[in-house]
Amino acid sequence: MLHLLHTADWQIGKQFGQFEPDEAALLAEARFRSVESLAALASAQRVDLVLVAGDVFDAQGVSDRTLLRLFNSMAGYAGPWVMIPGNHDAALSESVWTRAARLNAIAPNVHVCLTAEPLLLDGPGVAILPAPLTQRITHADLTEWFAGADTPPGMHRIGLAHGSVQGILADGIDSSNPIAAGRAAQAGLDYLALGDWHGCRQVDARTWYSGTHETDRFRANDSGRVLQVRIAAPQAMPDVQPVSIGQYQWLGESAQLQVASDIDALLARLAAFGPADVVQFALSGRCDLAGLQRIRDAVVQAQARARSLRVDMGGLRIEPTPEDIDALQADGYVGEVIGDLRAAQGVDGDDGELARDALVLLAGLLDERRAREGAA
Amino acid sequence: MKLTRLRVEQFRAFRQPLEITGLHDGINLFTGPNEAGKSTLVAAIRAAFLERHRSGSVDDLRPRGDGSASPTVELDFSLDGTDYRLAKRFLGKKRCTLQIGSRQLDGSEAEDHLAELLGFRHAGRGASTSEHWGIPGLLWVQQGGAQEVRDPVGHATDHLRSALNASLGEIASSGGEIIDIVEAQRNELLTPATGAPRGSYAEALRRQAALAASVEALDADIATYRQKVDRLATVRREHEADAAEQPWAGFRAQEQAARARLEEARSLEAGLAQDRQRAEQLARSVQLLRSQLDAFTAEEQALERRKAALDAAAQALASARTLVEQWRARRREADARYDAARAALQQARRGDLRRSLARELDERRRTITDFTQALSQAEGAHARALAAQRLAAESAIADDDLAALREQQRRITELQIQQAAAATRVRYALDDGRALRIGGSAVSGSGERQLVEATAIELPGLGRLDILPGGADLPELGRREADLRERRDAILLRLGLASVDDAESRRQAHARHQADAATAIATLKALAPQGVERLRTDIAAQQARVQEAEQALARLQEAEQALARLPEAGADGDATRPVVEAESQEEQARESAAAVAGKLAAADAALANAQAAFDAATRELAHAQAVLDAPERAQALAASQRNLLDARAEQAALAARIDALAQQVSAARPDILQQDVERFGRSAEQLERGFSQRRDELTRLDVELQTAGALGLDERRAEAARDLAQATRRVLELARRARALDHLFGLLRNRRRALTQRLQAPLQAHLNHYLQLLFPGAVLEIDENLSPGPLTRDGGHGAESDLFEALSFGAREQMGIISRLAYADLLREAGRPTLIILDDVLVHSDGTRLAQMKRVLFDAATRHQILLFTCHPANWRDLGVSPRAIDALRAAGPSAPA
Repeated sequence: MLHLLHTADWQIGKQFGQFEPDEAALLAEARFRSVESLAALASAQRVDLVLVAGDVFDAQGVSDRTLLRLFNSMAGYAGPWVMIPGNHDAALSESVWTRAARLNAIAPNVHVCLTAEPLLLDGPGVAILPAPLTQRITHADLTEWFAGADTPPGMHRIGLAHGSVQGILADGIDSSNPIAAGRAAQAGLDYLALGDWHGCRQVDARTWYSGTHETDRFRANDSGRVLQVRIAAPQAMPDVQPVSIGQYQWLGESAQLQVASDIDALLARLAAFGPADVVQFALSGRCDLAGLQRIRDAVVQAQARARSLRVDMGGLRIEPTPEDIDALQADGYVGEVIGDLRAAQGVDGDDGELARDALVLLAGLLDERRAREGAA
Repeated sequence: MKLTRLRVEQFRAFRQPLEITGLHDGINLFTGPNEAGKSTLVAAIRAAFLERHRSGSVDDLRPRGDGSASPTVELDFSLDGTDYRLAKRFLGKKRCTLQIGSRQLDGSEAEDHLAELLGFRHAGRGASTSEHWGIPGLLWVQQGGAQEVRDPVGHATDHLRSALNASLGEIASSGGEIIDIVEAQRNELLTPATGAPRGSYAEALRRQAALAASVEALDADIATYRQKVDRLATVRREHEADAAEQPWAGFRAQEQAARARLEEARSLEAGLAQDRQRAEQLARSVQLLRSQLDAFTAEEQALERRKAALDAAAQALASARTLVEQWRARRREADARYDAARAALQQARRGDLRRSLARELDERRRTITDFTQALSQAEGAHARALAAQRLAAESAIADDDLAALREQQRRITELQIQQAAAATRVRYALDDGRALRIGGSAVSGSGERQLVEATAIELPGLGRLDILPGGADLPELGRREADLRERRDAILLRLGLASVDDAESRRQAHARHQADAATAIATLKALAPQGVERLRTDIAAQQARVQEAEQALARLQEAEQALARLPEAGADGDATRPVVEAESQEEQARESAAAVAGKLAAADAALANAQAAFDAATRELAHAQAVLDAPERAQALAASQRNLLDARAEQAALAARIDALAQQVSAARPDILQQDVERFGRSAEQLERGFSQRRDELTRLDVELQTAGALGLDERRAEAARDLAQATRRVLELARRARALDHLFGLLRNRRRALTQRLQAPLQAHLNHYLQLLFPGAVLEIDENLSPGPLTRDGGHGAESDLFEALSFGAREQMGIISRLAYADLLREAGRPTLIILDDVLVHSDGTRLAQMKRVLFDAATRHQILLFTCHPANWRDLGVSPRAIDALRAAGPSAPA
């Protein structure tokens, strides 16, 4: 029985500018760590081989250090690794792969398929049909040749490709690097391991996207997995099991606040975030100053627990209640200014946002003063 | 509030009691020089109200050096119709009483009541300081303090605010704090003036720009890198294709083929060129042979020409000879004529000479005759002159001698006269016949005698009479006469003369002889001016010339005789012809002979030339004949004719061969073949070079890409982009915060300003009331602390605004007083007591401003009592109040009436 792991889209070297520097560094680091986890899993499961379906590197021009580090991260599994270049790390005349070769970074058990020819692994009895990208973008189906490729009888025929299966993904998305639907069946493959789609996805009985091993975006696409594939015998149906391997889960959430209980629910949700969570939270609706303060306090608390928590309050309208105003002790002209700002934030667009910002700012200052005076 | 009486005792300068009464409403003016005690009176009022009577910190109120004094102040004032009397004694016997109508308060109670009434506080302990003074601190201006307003207002704010009856407190405290914080936070991000980013905001912007630039730079690098990668792929593909196909090989083969054909064509061309060279050689030898034959012909023609030339020369020689003969005959004739003419000329000249000699001879002979005659006459004259000169020399007498003689004769005569005068005269008259003898000489008849010496008169017969002349000097005179005579006689003797008269006559004779000599000499001179000898010489010379002429004539005659003997025809006839005519004929004959001789010479020369030409022609003919007669000439001529024939035959054959070859070469087109060789060669070379260049480029690209790849450009770009995103986010956050702060600050400021203006309107009104008197149209703003803010005036260029602190000292003082008067008005309207004390104010104001300020003060004085202290009474004379001199008050002592 053939037992393999299928992974893809490691995107090593990717940076995360939308986060604070410390968070960004940890997220970049996680991509290596998850490769290590993957190698450990492969070792533990004693798989026959590991398939990496392209986009190992995020770009051709990664630093030597990054390059070396990636291959070191793979050291935990001594069995065969088979990888192909994807669109991010295409096998150009000069590429990250030629550099890796020059640096002697590639261990003997790592097979990098830079040309479209079968790779025969006698140990596990597998013939790999790779479709490496030799250009950044191709409009031809690189898996075309699979059907015509002869492989020794008795060996598993495993396809390895990177691109978009036609007709599966929404039109216009990644339409380059096409792969014909039904290629596995047409080419008599036991299994077609695909990369490029960052979420884990089954295309047909023998065809899967493993998705990236470590989530790198908020779109909910079921990433951070590796596929554990078992094939009893050549031409047998593969048994594919997604296994979570990623370190962080990325959560893009939102909440609309209308009544006080909405705030309670929000606070409960915030309190639930843990250290593996990378969260982007969009708030809309309305709340009073007291509610705003509660949310702020809760966000600060949650940020201390979560790996990353970013809350966008752009859609939230602040509506101080008379009690709020009283509490701020903002009579006189400051009170008038608060009134001005409350009225102005109702305006759509820039001015409304400006008024809201100013109002929040003023409320904060008044609150601080009150706290100071209370303490005094 | 109206202060009516003030009494101080043992108070600083006022050891003795001083009382001022009768203070009235409005302005009370106190004057006095420095240190007169003006400020002490102010201090007394202040101490009475502001200091606790129990205070231990008021030692300075005591007179200097009087440690036991108890400074005492008593004040009477009325307020709202109630009379008050305050009496306060400090230090020694501390005491405080306040009489309010019929009520009396003592000690602290009295003091606290006053503080409440006037609006100030007492110090907790120690001396009262400005922060306690409240309204008095504002309205009671100490010396030199009028320009300070902010602090006094600050200490009186509560009272002023309550007077404004508004919630100004909120503005200044809570709102003010918030707006200050907002402004501070805004100014951390934006510059106060222009709102440009600053601080961390500016820093964030800079970082963002720097990162954007570095991303851009990395993008460019990456683009370059990718182009190189693509280029590498292209070049590698081409290189491999070339290596497989070797497209240059075909071109090399074509080049070889073309080169072989070209060489064939080249050998044809070489043969053609050789033939053409031979043809040219032939053409040249044919030409040579032809010119040789031409030369032979020419020699024969030359012989004929020589012969003809010789004939012509012989003819010319003959005619030249004839000409010479003719000219020789003519020359002989001309010579004969010339000789004849010459002889005739000689003849004529001789005749001429003979005649002239004869004339000369006659003349000279006559001259000799004349000279001879003159000579004889001259010799006579000469003899005469000599005789006369001899006679003259004989009769000569020296002038000295003559003069001496004449002098001696004159003196002798004088002596004789003297003797006669002195002599004894003897007159006698003798009878006839009688004689006597006087001095030995017989005397008869009558007469007189003078006796100068003893003389004896012998009287015959009678004896003798010796007469002795009487004068003593007579003998002397006689001696002197005798002396003179001797000397005269000596001269005469020497001269051989008998007497002086002789001498005179001799002198005359001398003169006569000299005259004779002169006459003779003159005659001689006339006859022979140059002497007789010369005359003789001349005569001799003439005679010699005569001789010469006679000889010449003789010779001439001999010559003529000789000539006459010549067989000369008609010569005698012509002998008389004029010389001039003969000369002319001779000249003509000579010229004619010369002309003929010239012609003859020319004819001779022509003959010589003709002879020479003839000789040359003869020689040349001989030479030409010799050439023709040379024995090898005939052989050479034959050979040349034979060679010419051979050459022409060969030429014809060669021309046919050349035509054939040229056609072959032209068909082969070696130029095109050459181009083919070059084209194919170059194509091959280009392909080879391209191959080599691609190989080099591959190496280069490999190296470059390896180097660039090691830089990790994409990763660096990703990092830079990450940092840029973070920086951009920070910029946006800060921009948003800055904008919100700016907005908030603007709102707060505007709201506060509006509120402040609304609340302060009454105070502003009072302020403007006074300000218009000083600066019409000006506005003095009041800030939220009620202190004077910027002063806006109509300057030369529109409205100009100055901060209060930026005003001049004088202007600040004026504004300070105006503000205080406005506060006083405000307080009065609120029912608060107002007393204004101005100690030595407005000393920095110019005349104009001071005048305006006096109007301001006078106006204020209609509502408030004002105590004005000054050391410049003249400045305040026009306030309409009578000043009180402190000195006078002191002198008057206590209870001084107003």
